[in-house]
Amino acid sequence: MSELLGDFSESSIKEVSTSLKEPEWLLRFRLKSFEYFLSLPPETNPLYTKYAYVSQFNIPDFPYSGSGRQLDFRSTFEGYLIGNETNIAISANENVMHTELEADVEGRGVVVLPLSQAVSRYESRLREIFSRKVVRSENEKFAAFVNAFFNTGLYIHVPDGISLGKPLRKLRLTDRPETSIIDQTVIEVGEDSSLVFLEEEYSKNDSDKAIHASNLDVLGGRNSSVDISSVHMLGPEVVSITNRGLRLDEGCRITDSSLYLGSSVSRARTNFLLSGRGAFAEGFEIFFTDGKQRYDFETNLLHHSQDTTGSTHARGVLRGESQSIYKGMIKIVETAKNSRSYLAHHAMILERTAKSDAIPGLEIDTNEVKATHSASVAQLDEEQLFYLMSRGIEQEEARKMIVLGFFEPVLSRIPVEETREGTRFMIEGKWHREKRRLVDRISVLGFAEEARHEVRQKEDIFERHYKYR
Amino acid sequence: MSLEVRELHVAVEGKEILRGVNLKVGKGEVHALMGPNGSGKSTLAYTLMGHPKYQVTSGDILVDGESILTLTPDKRARKGLFLAFQYPVSVQGVSMFSFLRAAYNSAHAQSQPTIFEFKEKLNEKLKMLGMGEEILNRYLNEGFSGGEKKRAEILQMALIEPKYAVLDETDSGLDIDALRIVAEGINKLSGPERGILLITHYQRILRYVKPQFVHVMYEGKIIESGGEELSRLLEEKGYSWIKGYKGEEVSAEV
Ligand SMILES: Nc1ncnc2c1ncn2[C@@H]1O[C@H](COP(=O)(O)OP(=O)(O)OP(=O)(O)O)[C@@H](O)[C@H]1O
Ligand SMILES: [Mg+2]
Repeated sequence: MSELLGDFSESSIKEVSTSLKEPEWLLRFRLKSFEYFLSLPPETNPLYTKYAYVSQFNIPDFPYSGSGRQLDFRSTFEGYLIGNETNIAISANENVMHTELEADVEGRGVVVLPLSQAVSRYESRLREIFSRKVVRSENEKFAAFVNAFFNTGLYIHVPDGISLGKPLRKLRLTDRPETSIIDQTVIEVGEDSSLVFLEEEYSKNDSDKAIHASNLDVLGGRNSSVDISSVHMLGPEVVSITNRGLRLDEGCRITDSSLYLGSSVSRARTNFLLSGRGAFAEGFEIFFTDGKQRYDFETNLLHHSQDTTGSTHARGVLRGESQSIYKGMIKIVETAKNSRSYLAHHAMILERTAKSDAIPGLEIDTNEVKATHSASVAQLDEEQLFYLMSRGIEQEEARKMIVLGFFEPVLSRIPVEETREGTRFMIEGKWHREKRRLVDRISVLGFAEEARHEVRQKEDIFERHYKYR
Repeated sequence: MSLEVRELHVAVEGKEILRGVNLKVGKGEVHALMGPNGSGKSTLAYTLMGHPKYQVTSGDILVDGESILTLTPDKRARKGLFLAFQYPVSVQGVSMFSFLRAAYNSAHAQSQPTIFEFKEKLNEKLKMLGMGEEILNRYLNEGFSGGEKKRAEILQMALIEPKYAVLDETDSGLDIDALRIVAEGINKLSGPERGILLITHYQRILRYVKPQFVHVMYEGKIIESGGEELSRLLEEKGYSWIKGYKGEEVSAEV
């Protein structure tokens, strides 16, 4: 086994746990997860095994921990930060190098800490969270992988009754020739609280070879409001794995938007667990691939309580020889009466060498619900292209309008303006094959002028066409 | 100065559709092109604009004496050619406003107006066509009613101010008021600077827009040409009396 896993062994788990001075229960959690990791196949669902190759990669290609060269903070993050950021946690590789909260934010009891520190400072709370983790090891090999091997991460806690006006940010840069960044992050938002969380990931050098695996647990308290966004812009030699579990208590509202542009392989699992009555979740997954990128998505809307509303909108464009597989499932259990669910995946292929598949599904154990799913994969429409060109618009410009426009029906639904505009900016960069960063948006003009005419057609997805009952 | 079609033969997917079309639309002229369904009118329109599906197997198309056959549609547009589509497509996510601006800037490469100047110009054209500003925030043609689409085509023509405009059944699907407004719009735009080729089945638009020339297309050829009186004759007697017409009795719709 060991030669198949390279550095990723039981002894290295013990080493990392010791070096982080972890309590016994956490080591046990890791070792139990390691067992799951060893026993689980990459794909457990027989419906999906056919596509397991899409996110296949070789674990021993990566060293478990890199040689920790000291990085100079300023020069490392030059060009990624303006310099006056606050309410932010900044990491280079697996090192959380800097966290900063404004005094009034800290004063209200908000916690942003490296996970290992949080474990020693809030041990009983963290132990409780780990005992009921949303991102579990039992059914997903790479969730188990992160639970076993995490070498970094954050604990973010917004106490009850606290509304953070300003977003909290998390920025990560890879800056090492070979490394593994294995991130365990927990976001806990208390009752009647609100949080906007913006996450960004970049690679400093195109040649950085890394496995970047992360688990994100989001615990939305009663009547809380949480908006999450993440931008995945890791370099072309990075294998990227994300497992996200979002649990919504009664009356909780969560939106979650993810933009995937980077990495050679990207494997993303997102589970919305609508566990409290009246919970509302809306997910956005946006991707744009080229070259030989391979993306593997699985998103599930799990309705466990009455009156819940869930929707997830995936849209992607594929160029070159890239490929994607999207698996989406709506599950409504018997007790989740009067729930509504919507799941859509639409992809556009720009070259015949690119490939995209989607497998949407429904499992519904009760009446009195509305559930719809839809999926399509299409090529760029030649009649649209002709129409735009007949108005004097050059071919490349016309193609760009159609492609960027394709994302709009989903983009325009993203509620946080910063995320919405940032996503537009990054997608446009991908179209031009530029490596943009969100921070560049501030210096690029021309957006503001058009924004006023921006389209906001929010059709009611539930009132339109629904297939199920 | 003219848009000229010479002995044009066109095939789609290997099937010949136009079989030797000759037509010359001079500046300042309005021509009407009529003919039964499937006779090749839209094929001619698409071919003029350079649709990649329509293959010119022989013949030529000239704008002001210069062949445009090798030009892509965008270059033809910048030579001053415009097509109002019989069935305009919609494009999700592209707002009417940003599309119109891109189209305007392509057509008027020398005079890029500021966004404010452009809005002013746009509002004036909207008013002329009895259209509201809300339309600008909608996606291009998406969910437009038939009549709204046709008006939007004329709006584009009014903004772009082409030298030669081909209007493919712009009058179909319009209610009586809309027809009058659109026809007035066309009239305002016609003049010594412009040549117009109006493809239609109906006499009624020709009450507003007066063509100097009327042509009848049939099985990929123009089989009859005349003055305005020809359209009235067609209205009364249909197509069957025309020499070369082989089909059953079909009357031109009125
Ligand atoms: N893209 C195409 N593919 C296949 N056949 C085509 C295509 N375009 C036109 N045709 C055929 O060419 C013939 C002429 O069609 P066209 O649309 O030019 O007629 P039209 O005169 O505009 O008719 P209408 O009055 O109904 O609009 C028809 O038989 C039509 O089926
Ligand atoms: Mg036609």
